[in-house]
Amino acid sequence: MNDGITPTTLILEASLPVQLVLITLLLLSIISWVMIFQRWLVLSAAAKGVLSFEHRFWSGMDLSQLYKEGSQMQKEDIPVVGMENIFRSGFKEFMRLRQQASVDKEAIMEGAQRAMRVAYSREEEKLEKHLPFLATVASVSVYIGLFGTVIGIMNSFIGLASQAQVTLQVIAPDIAEALIATAMGLFVAIPAVVVYNRYTASVDNITSSYITFTDEFSSILHRQVHSD
Amino acid sequence: MKDSINNVIIYNGYPLSVVAAVTFHSLLLALLLYLQSNRNTDALELIQPTVVKALLVQENPQVTNERKRVERQQQQQRDRQQEEARRAAEAERQQQAQAQARAEEDRQQRERAALRERQQQDRLNAEQLLREQQQREAEQRRQRELAAAQRLQESRDRELQRQQEAADAAAAAAEVASSEFEMIQSGTALIQQLVQENWSRPPSARNGMQAIIQIRMLPTGELIDATITQSSGDPAFDRSAENAVYRAAPFTELQNLPINVFNANFRSLSLIFEPEDLLN
Repeated sequence: MNDGITPTTLILEASLPVQLVLITLLLLSIISWVMIFQRWLVLSAAAKGVLSFEHRFWSGMDLSQLYKEGSQMQKEDIPVVGMENIFRSGFKEFMRLRQQASVDKEAIMEGAQRAMRVAYSREEEKLEKHLPFLATVASVSVYIGLFGTVIGIMNSFIGLASQAQVTLQVIAPDIAEALIATAMGLFVAIPAVVVYNRYTASVDNITSSYITFTDEFSSILHRQVHSD
Repeated sequence: MKDSINNVIIYNGYPLSVVAAVTFHSLLLALLLYLQSNRNTDALELIQPTVVKALLVQENPQVTNERKRVERQQQQQRDRQQEEARRAAEAERQQQAQAQARAEEDRQQRERAALRERQQQDRLNAEQLLREQQQREAEQRRQRELAAAQRLQESRDRELQRQQEAADAAAAAAEVASSEFEMIQSGTALIQQLVQENWSRPPSARNGMQAIIQIRMLPTGELIDATITQSSGDPAFDRSAENAVYRAAPFTELQNLPINVFNANFRSLSLIFEPEDLLN
């Protein structure tokens, strides 16, 4: 007597194409989960960074003091990121242009804004890194699983063709083997879809707060330029 | 500073993520294996099928012959028992008759003694009378005994004859049965084989199912009709059995059978379908 079929034996005794599909899906799953965890760390850190920097920025601290703190951090090999990076590049450009007497006020504002825009797009790029990969995994892994299933069912029918009497016992193992591929595909795709949607939303949140900050900061700079 | 930690994470999050992802997958795999090992006891039994063998059981001519023979034997035995009972009753009756005779004799002797005592003087003339009477009685007794013996003899003869007849009949029947038996056996084997070849059992068939199909045939082996006399409870199974019979027909080899054998055994036949070697 056979002692039944378990998922493990199914996987181990599956035909080569199905096994290849399963291995591909497993790799995709591991990679996508690496991305999921890594993005989670990055995005939660960025969200926290937004809050803490806004708190510091609006605490009434002198802006050049804030800038010096950031420089200090950079000297200690701590990378400065997120909103603070936007502030630093805008402020640096503003100060540099302001020291040049020939530059007029509008040019100063324009330079600072351009520097902030560049920093903003760099930050956004950092946040959105790997998200397209997750999107690809989310949509493709289902098809890969389906491919494995189709191959498996095809094999099962080829096997059936040589059978005089068809019973459930003949079809069942092959169908089960085939279905494992679909199950695996879904297992990979579902977290990827959920996480992709969630992370896209939080990236949108963070970037919109960056934009808001950029506008606020440029209005402060504008005030300073025209008050002289 | 809290920010510095956050910043470190942002740039060095990969090792941590890889560890987390691999751990996550290992945990899932371990969980799967654990569930599987727990479930092993009642795991689905998916088994490579063996060739299905249709079991075909007739309302077997061989069996019916056997039954007839047994019935005949029982009948004979019953007859014999009745005979014995009758004989016993007769013997009893004889004994009773003898006892009566004896009692009468005693009485007569007593009477004679009384007569002798009381009628000593009449004895001479009465003796004649008495002797005559005795003679008559003896005659009667003898006649009675003779009749009883004759009856006994007759009944014995009759019984012997009947036994002889029964034995003859049994021998003849056995002889006929043995020659018939082979024909019937080959015919049933043929039908069984044909039906079996044409029976494609449905997936819903289970061990213990039994469908009985009664088929009626012409002497040419053509099938007149097949009716389900006992359903297995599974319509698909019944249908498959019915289809198998229709597909197997006609059983042209039955033409070779003598018509009386055919009529007795194959005109109407019950086929029992049961999948006997399924594993579930």
